Amino acid sequence: MSSSTREEVLRHLQSVGFVQPALHKQTQAPYPDEVDHTLYRAYTRSVHDVGGEADVPIRYEEKEEEQWELNTFATCECLAWRGVWNAEERRRRQNVDIGQTAYLGLPYYGRWLLTAARIMVDKQYVTLTELVNKIDEVKKRHEH
Amino acid sequence: MSEHHHEPAPMVDEVSDFEILEMAVRELAIEKGLFSAEDHRIWTEYVHTLGPTPAARLVAKAWLDPEYKNLCVTDGVEASKAVGVDWINSPPTHFGTPSDYCNLRVLEDTPTLKHVVVCTLCSCYPRPILGQSPEWYRTPNYRRRLVRWPRQVLAEFGLQLPSDVQIRVADSNQKTRYIVMPVRPAGTDGWSEDQLAEIVTRDCLIGVAVPKPGVTSNTMRPIHKAVHPVEHGHGH
Repeated sequence: MSSSTREEVLRHLQSVGFVQPALHKQTQAPYPDEVDHTLYRAYTRSVHDVGGEADVPIRYEEKEEEQWELNTFATCECLAWRGVWNAEERRRRQNVDIGQTAYLGLPYYGRWLLTAARIMVDKQYVTLTELVNKIDEVKKRHEH
Repeated sequence: MSEHHHEPAPMVDEVSDFEILEMAVRELAIEKGLFSAEDHRIWTEYVHTLGPTPAARLVAKAWLDPEYKNLCVTDGVEASKAVGVDWINSPPTHFGTPSDYCNLRVLEDTPTLKHVVVCTLCSCYPRPILGQSPEWYRTPNYRRRLVRWPRQVLAEFGLQLPSDVQIRVADSNQKTRYIVMPVRPAGTDGWSEDQLAEIVTRDCLIGVAVPKPGVTSNTMRPIHKAVHPVEHGHGH
């Protein structure tokens, strides 16, 4: 491994460590007998069901919309308009299946976008290879 | 956090991972015929037509016409037609918008009852009549706290309600969307529909503010600027 690759790998692992959910426990993946009913219920809830959770006051802000955010909204709506997904599966994928870390860690439309990519792969409209190649192609197009 | 996390802020001309993925997904969807480029353009144009104006007009009309007010409270979808919003047959799909369904409820405030709207599960919002939701409405913070500490949260928005005013929080969902019809404020006698509509701001319609003569815009809040903001007039 070249030293620049090693550095990149270490940086990635560090970032991943940083976004691990705080379980306030020494061991992750505990023994089965360590999960009681209360804990089980907490882990199996839907992550988007946040009503009533404790939080501190923050400064509420307005936000200017990015062009890609509007495009993402339109893409998701067009996928629905033309029957690729319905509102129920779309919500479950965007809000629940994505998992707590990504749910809280990604921007609002970032979740939408990832989910739009996944539905196309999961329903076999595109292969994962096609998606990866397209991403590479778009990246190259925007390299200076 | 290690020093490695302190990456410099992206340059203005740098393309983000989200932008790359957005282009890739849209282009693939069009290439595979899942929808057309024209569909996407039409939808984007439709979004540009949305905003809080129809909902403000609905409230102003209701303040002036008790019969219409009654229609608003009993059948919000029917009442929306008078302000140009057809929830059931609207373009661009002609079967309503895929993610807004068609069940608008208009919540009538009284001097002793204040409504305020949230969506605890996501960000459900009456888009066809009120436009896109503000960023703060989508935050986990607002969604977590409003249902449990409504009086405090409203105070943070600058709305301090007397203790004899009851607060009712409406939790939107995939099918049911809400707008608040606030109490018509004093000092508006003899005002026209246009004048009244001007003081019914988006924040009033969500319920985090109440209309006041002379106040025609939302409370000033910090604005997080976009790196590549939406260009109005042409889609992408």
